[in-house]
Amino acid sequence: MAPYVNFRDMQVGDMLPTVEKDPVTKTQLVRYAGASGDFNPLHTDDAVAQKAGLKGVIAQGPLIMGFVGQAITRWVSKRDLKRFQVRFKGMTFPGDIISVSATVTEKVAEGANLRILCHTEAKDQKGEIKLTGQFEVLYPIDTA
Amino acid sequence: MADKSKIGVKLPTYLLKVERLKIRELMGAIGDDNPIYRDKSKAEAEGYADTPCPPTYITMAFQEFTGAYLEIFKMLNVPLEHVLHGEEEYEYNGEIFPGDVLHCHMSCESIVEKETRSGNLDLITLQTIFTNQKDQSVLKARSLIIERL
Repeated sequence: MAPYVNFRDMQVGDMLPTVEKDPVTKTQLVRYAGASGDFNPLHTDDAVAQKAGLKGVIAQGPLIMGFVGQAITRWVSKRDLKRFQVRFKGMTFPGDIISVSATVTEKVAEGANLRILCHTEAKDQKGEIKLTGQFEVLYPIDTA
Repeated sequence: MADKSKIGVKLPTYLLKVERLKIRELMGAIGDDNPIYRDKSKAEAEGYADTPCPPTYITMAFQEFTGAYLEIFKMLNVPLEHVLHGEEEYEYNGEIFPGDVLHCHMSCESIVEKETRSGNLDLITLQTIFTNQKDQSVLKARSLIIERL
Protein backbone atom coordinates (compact mmCIF):
# COMPACT_ATOMS: atom_id res chain seq x y z
CA MET A 1 0.00 0.00 0.00
CA ALA A 2 2.79 2.35 0.84
CA PRO A 3 4.28 4.69 -0.26
CA TYR A 4 2.15 7.25 1.47
CA VAL A 5 2.01 10.97 0.70
CA ASN A 6 5.23 12.71 1.70
CA PHE A 7 3.97 15.71 3.67
CA ARG A 8 7.46 17.18 4.00
CA ASP A 9 7.18 18.16 0.34
CA MET A 10 3.53 19.25 0.49
CA GLN A 11 2.43 22.83 0.98
CA VAL A 12 -0.84 24.36 2.11
CA GLY A 13 -3.15 24.36 -0.92
CA ASP A 14 -1.64 21.22 -2.47
CA MET A 15 -4.04 18.41 -3.44
CA LEU A 16 -3.57 14.75 -2.56
CA PRO A 17 -4.06 12.23 -5.42
CA THR A 18 -7.81 11.78 -5.97
CA VAL A 19 -9.20 8.29 -5.30
CA GLU A 20 -11.98 7.20 -7.66
CA LYS A 21 -14.29 4.37 -6.59
CA ASP A 22 -16.12 1.85 -8.76
CA PRO A 23 -19.81 2.70 -9.35
CA VAL A 24 -21.96 2.13 -6.25
CA THR A 25 -24.13 -0.99 -6.64
CA LYS A 26 -27.31 -2.14 -4.91
CA THR A 27 -25.47 -5.29 -3.85
CA GLN A 28 -22.91 -3.07 -2.15
CA LEU A 29 -25.67 -1.29 -0.18
CA VAL A 30 -27.01 -4.66 0.98
CA ARG A 31 -23.51 -5.79 1.94
CA TYR A 32 -22.87 -2.54 3.80
CA ALA A 33 -26.21 -2.85 5.63
CA GLY A 34 -25.17 -6.30 6.84
CA ALA A 35 -21.64 -5.23 7.68
CA SER A 36 -22.57 -2.07 9.59
CA GLY A 37 -25.91 -3.03 11.11
CA ASP A 38 -27.72 -0.11 9.47
CA PHE A 39 -30.84 -1.99 8.39
CA ASN A 40 -32.90 1.04 7.38
CA PRO A 41 -34.81 -0.26 4.31
CA LEU A 42 -34.32 3.11 2.53
CA HIS A 43 -30.92 1.67 1.61
CA THR A 44 -32.00 -1.78 0.48
CA ASP A 45 -35.65 -1.81 -0.63
CA ASP A 46 -36.64 0.27 -3.69
CA ALA A 47 -40.35 0.09 -2.80
CA VAL A 48 -39.74 1.66 0.62
CA ALA A 49 -37.47 4.32 -0.89
CA GLN A 50 -40.07 5.17 -3.54
CA LYS A 51 -42.77 5.48 -0.89
CA ALA A 52 -40.51 8.07 0.76
CA GLY A 53 -40.46 10.04 -2.51
CA LEU A 54 -37.05 8.90 -3.78
CA LYS A 55 -36.39 7.35 -7.20
CA GLY A 56 -34.99 4.30 -5.43
CA VAL A 57 -32.62 3.18 -2.70
CA ILE A 58 -29.92 5.59 -1.51
CA ALA A 59 -26.51 4.74 -0.10
CA GLN A 60 -25.85 4.88 3.65
CA GLY A 61 -23.97 8.10 4.48
CA PRO A 62 -21.39 6.15 6.52
CA LEU A 63 -20.62 4.02 3.42
CA ILE A 64 -19.45 7.20 1.69
CA MET A 65 -17.54 8.10 4.86
CA GLY A 66 -15.98 4.63 4.51
CA PHE A 67 -14.85 5.53 0.97
CA VAL A 68 -13.16 8.62 2.40
CA GLY A 69 -11.59 6.51 5.15
CA GLN A 70 -10.24 4.19 2.44
CA ALA A 71 -8.72 7.17 0.60
CA ILE A 72 -7.21 8.62 3.79
CA THR A 73 -5.37 5.45 4.76
CA ARG A 74 -4.07 5.19 1.22
CA TRP A 75 -2.62 8.67 1.66
CA VAL A 76 -1.39 8.31 5.25
CA SER A 77 -0.46 5.53 7.62
CA LYS A 78 -3.45 4.58 9.82
CA ARG A 79 -1.52 5.24 13.02
CA ASP A 80 -0.77 8.84 11.95
CA LEU A 81 -4.48 9.63 11.50
CA LYS A 82 -5.65 11.46 14.63
CA ARG A 83 -9.06 12.89 13.73
CA PHE A 84 -11.60 12.43 10.94
CA GLN A 85 -14.84 14.38 10.65
CA VAL A 86 -17.49 14.50 7.93
CA ARG A 87 -20.68 16.40 7.23
CA PHE A 88 -23.23 14.51 5.13
CA LYS A 89 -24.46 16.73 2.28
CA GLY A 90 -26.15 14.79 -0.50
CA MET A 91 -27.74 11.51 -1.45
CA THR A 92 -25.81 8.85 -3.37
CA PHE A 93 -27.64 6.48 -5.72
CA PRO A 94 -26.60 3.15 -7.25
CA GLY A 95 -24.54 3.85 -10.37
CA ASP A 96 -22.93 6.98 -8.90
CA ILE A 97 -19.17 7.08 -9.24
CA ILE A 98 -17.68 8.64 -6.14
CA SER A 99 -14.30 10.31 -6.15
CA VAL A 100 -12.57 11.42 -2.98
CA SER A 101 -10.27 14.42 -3.02
CA ALA A 102 -8.36 16.30 -0.35
CA THR A 103 -6.38 19.51 0.00
CA VAL A 104 -3.81 20.43 2.63
CA THR A 105 -5.19 23.35 4.66
CA GLU A 106 -2.67 23.57 7.51
CA LYS A 107 0.87 22.38 8.06
CA VAL A 108 2.53 23.10 11.40
CA ALA A 109 5.78 21.70 12.82
CA GLU A 110 5.24 20.21 16.28
CA GLY A 111 8.38 18.69 17.81
CA ALA A 112 9.41 15.68 15.72
CA ASN A 113 6.11 15.78 13.80
CA LEU A 114 4.17 17.80 11.29
CA ARG A 115 0.57 18.43 12.24
CA ILE A 116 -1.32 18.38 8.94
CA LEU A 117 -4.93 19.37 8.46
CA CYS A 118 -6.69 18.47 5.21
CA HIS A 119 -10.09 19.33 3.80
CA THR A 120 -11.76 16.43 2.00
CA GLU A 121 -14.74 16.02 -0.30
CA ALA A 122 -16.59 13.13 -1.91
CA LYS A 123 -18.31 13.95 -5.21
CA ASP A 124 -20.16 12.00 -7.86
CA GLN A 125 -19.52 11.93 -11.63
CA LYS A 126 -21.61 15.12 -12.04
CA GLY A 127 -19.57 16.98 -9.44
CA GLU A 128 -22.37 16.87 -6.86
CA ILE A 129 -20.95 16.92 -3.35
CA LYS A 130 -21.99 14.00 -1.13
CA LEU A 131 -19.97 14.92 1.91
CA THR A 132 -17.31 17.33 3.05
CA GLY A 133 -14.96 16.82 5.94
CA GLN A 134 -11.56 17.23 7.40
CA PHE A 135 -8.88 15.06 8.86
CA GLU A 136 -5.83 15.64 10.97
CA VAL A 137 -2.55 13.79 10.64
CA LEU A 138 0.43 13.74 12.98
CA TYR A 139 3.20 13.00 10.52
CA PRO A 140 6.65 12.01 11.81
CA ILE A 141 9.17 14.28 10.06
CA ASP A 142 11.80 11.52 9.91
CA THR A 143 9.45 9.19 7.96
CA ALA A 144 11.54 7.62 5.21
CA MET B 1 -38.95 17.36 20.00
CA ALA B 2 -35.96 16.13 21.96
CA ASP B 3 -36.31 16.34 25.72
CA LYS B 4 -33.76 19.03 26.63
CA SER B 5 -33.81 18.04 30.30
CA LYS B 6 -31.97 14.92 29.09
CA ILE B 7 -28.82 16.79 28.04
CA GLY B 8 -25.98 14.94 29.75
CA VAL B 9 -27.91 11.71 29.98
CA LYS B 10 -25.79 8.56 29.62
CA LEU B 11 -26.58 5.14 28.24
CA PRO B 12 -25.52 2.27 30.46
CA THR B 13 -22.03 1.23 29.32
CA TYR B 14 -22.26 -1.43 26.64
CA LEU B 15 -19.71 -3.79 25.15
CA LEU B 16 -18.58 -4.38 21.59
CA LYS B 17 -16.31 -7.31 20.80
CA VAL B 18 -14.08 -6.59 17.80
CA GLU B 19 -14.20 -9.48 15.36
CA ARG B 20 -11.76 -10.16 12.53
CA LEU B 21 -14.45 -11.46 10.19
CA LYS B 22 -16.61 -8.38 10.81
CA ILE B 23 -13.73 -6.11 9.79
CA ARG B 24 -13.27 -8.18 6.64
CA GLU B 25 -17.00 -7.96 5.89
CA LEU B 26 -16.94 -4.17 6.28
CA MET B 27 -13.91 -3.75 4.05
CA GLY B 28 -15.52 -6.00 1.44
CA ALA B 29 -18.66 -3.82 1.47
CA ILE B 30 -16.67 -0.58 1.18
CA GLY B 31 -14.44 -2.11 -1.50
CA ASP B 32 -11.26 -1.28 0.41
CA ASP B 33 -8.55 -3.79 -0.44
CA ASN B 34 -5.87 -2.30 1.84
CA PRO B 35 -4.02 -5.44 3.05
CA ILE B 36 -3.13 -4.04 6.49
CA TYR B 37 -6.78 -4.54 7.51
CA ARG B 38 -6.87 -8.25 6.68
CA ASP B 39 -3.35 -9.63 6.41
CA LYS B 40 -1.59 -9.85 9.76
CA SER B 41 1.88 -10.22 8.19
CA LYS B 42 1.35 -7.03 6.11
CA ALA B 43 0.16 -5.18 9.21
CA GLU B 44 3.16 -6.43 11.20
CA ALA B 45 5.47 -5.26 8.41
CA GLU B 46 4.07 -1.76 9.04
CA GLY B 47 4.73 -2.10 12.76
CA TYR B 48 1.26 -3.04 14.04
CA ALA B 49 0.75 -5.81 16.60
CA ASP B 50 -2.12 -7.17 14.47
CA THR B 51 -4.44 -5.90 11.73
CA PRO B 52 -5.69 -2.50 12.98
CA CYS B 53 -9.33 -1.48 12.66
CA PRO B 54 -9.98 0.82 9.69
CA PRO B 55 -10.97 4.45 10.41
CA THR B 56 -14.73 3.90 10.08
CA TYR B 57 -14.99 0.51 11.76
CA ILE B 58 -16.54 2.08 14.85
CA THR B 59 -19.66 3.15 12.92
CA MET B 60 -21.10 -0.28 13.65
CA ALA B 61 -20.99 0.39 17.40
CA PHE B 62 -24.17 2.48 17.23
CA GLN B 63 -26.49 0.53 14.97
CA GLU B 64 -28.62 -2.54 15.41
CA PHE B 65 -25.82 -4.79 16.69
CA THR B 66 -25.79 -2.77 19.90
CA GLY B 67 -29.04 -0.81 19.65
CA ALA B 68 -27.30 2.26 21.11
CA TYR B 69 -28.87 4.85 18.78
CA LEU B 70 -32.33 3.36 19.22
CA GLU B 71 -32.00 3.32 22.97
CA ILE B 72 -30.75 6.88 23.34
CA PHE B 73 -33.35 8.24 20.89
CA LYS B 74 -35.96 6.58 23.07
CA MET B 75 -34.49 8.22 26.18
CA LEU B 76 -34.50 11.60 24.42
CA ASN B 77 -38.04 11.16 23.04
CA VAL B 78 -36.84 11.51 19.47
CA PRO B 79 -39.01 9.67 16.93
CA LEU B 80 -36.85 7.60 14.60
CA GLU B 81 -38.68 8.70 11.44
CA HIS B 82 -37.69 12.36 12.08
CA VAL B 83 -33.99 11.66 12.35
CA LEU B 84 -31.19 12.51 9.89
CA HIS B 85 -27.49 11.93 10.36
CA GLY B 86 -25.74 15.29 9.95
CA GLU B 87 -22.14 14.83 10.94
CA GLU B 88 -19.80 12.17 12.27
CA GLU B 89 -16.39 12.66 13.88
CA TYR B 90 -13.77 10.24 15.22
CA GLU B 91 -10.77 11.09 17.34
CA TYR B 92 -8.17 8.33 17.40
CA ASN B 93 -6.12 7.90 20.55
CA GLY B 94 -4.95 4.34 20.03
CA GLU B 95 -5.34 1.33 17.75
CA ILE B 96 -8.22 -1.14 17.99
CA PHE B 97 -7.43 -4.76 17.15
CA PRO B 98 -9.44 -7.95 16.56
CA GLY B 99 -10.20 -9.59 19.90
CA ASP B 100 -10.45 -6.29 21.76
CA VAL B 101 -13.53 -5.75 23.89
CA LEU B 102 -14.60 -2.13 23.73
CA HIS B 103 -16.48 -0.53 26.59
CA CYS B 104 -18.74 2.04 24.95
CA HIS B 105 -19.84 5.08 26.95
CA MET B 106 -22.49 7.04 25.05
CA SER B 107 -23.95 10.29 26.31
CA CYS B 108 -25.99 13.19 25.00
CA GLU B 109 -23.59 16.13 24.90
CA SER B 110 -25.96 18.86 23.71
CA ILE B 111 -29.32 19.61 22.15
CA VAL B 112 -29.65 22.90 20.30
CA GLU B 113 -32.79 24.14 18.58
CA LYS B 114 -32.28 25.83 15.23
CA GLU B 115 -34.71 27.72 13.02
CA THR B 116 -34.37 27.19 9.28
CA ARG B 117 -36.49 28.25 6.31
CA SER B 118 -37.78 24.70 5.95
CA GLY B 119 -38.74 24.38 9.62
CA ASN B 120 -37.26 24.02 13.05
CA LEU B 121 -34.63 21.46 13.91
CA ASP B 122 -33.08 20.01 17.02
CA LEU B 123 -29.34 19.43 16.65
CA ILE B 124 -28.46 16.57 18.98
CA THR B 125 -24.80 15.80 19.64
CA LEU B 126 -24.03 12.32 20.95
CA GLN B 127 -20.61 11.51 22.27
CA THR B 128 -19.22 8.01 22.72
CA ILE B 129 -15.95 7.23 24.45
CA PHE B 130 -14.45 3.82 23.74
CA THR B 131 -12.07 2.19 26.18
CA ASN B 132 -10.54 -1.23 25.58
CA GLN B 133 -10.11 -4.19 27.96
CA LYS B 134 -6.87 -2.63 29.24
CA ASP B 135 -8.82 0.51 30.16
CA GLN B 136 -7.05 2.56 27.45
CA SER B 137 -9.21 5.21 25.86
CA VAL B 138 -8.77 4.41 22.17
CA LEU B 139 -11.40 6.46 20.38
CA LYS B 140 -13.90 9.26 20.88
CA ALA B 141 -16.84 9.56 18.50
CA ARG B 142 -19.24 12.42 18.05
CA SER B 143 -22.45 12.10 16.02
CA LEU B 144 -24.57 15.10 15.10
CA ILE B 145 -28.14 13.94 14.71
CA ILE B 146 -30.72 16.25 13.18
CA GLU B 147 -34.32 15.92 14.33
CA ARG B 148 -36.86 17.60 12.07
CA LEU B 149 -39.55 19.10 14.28
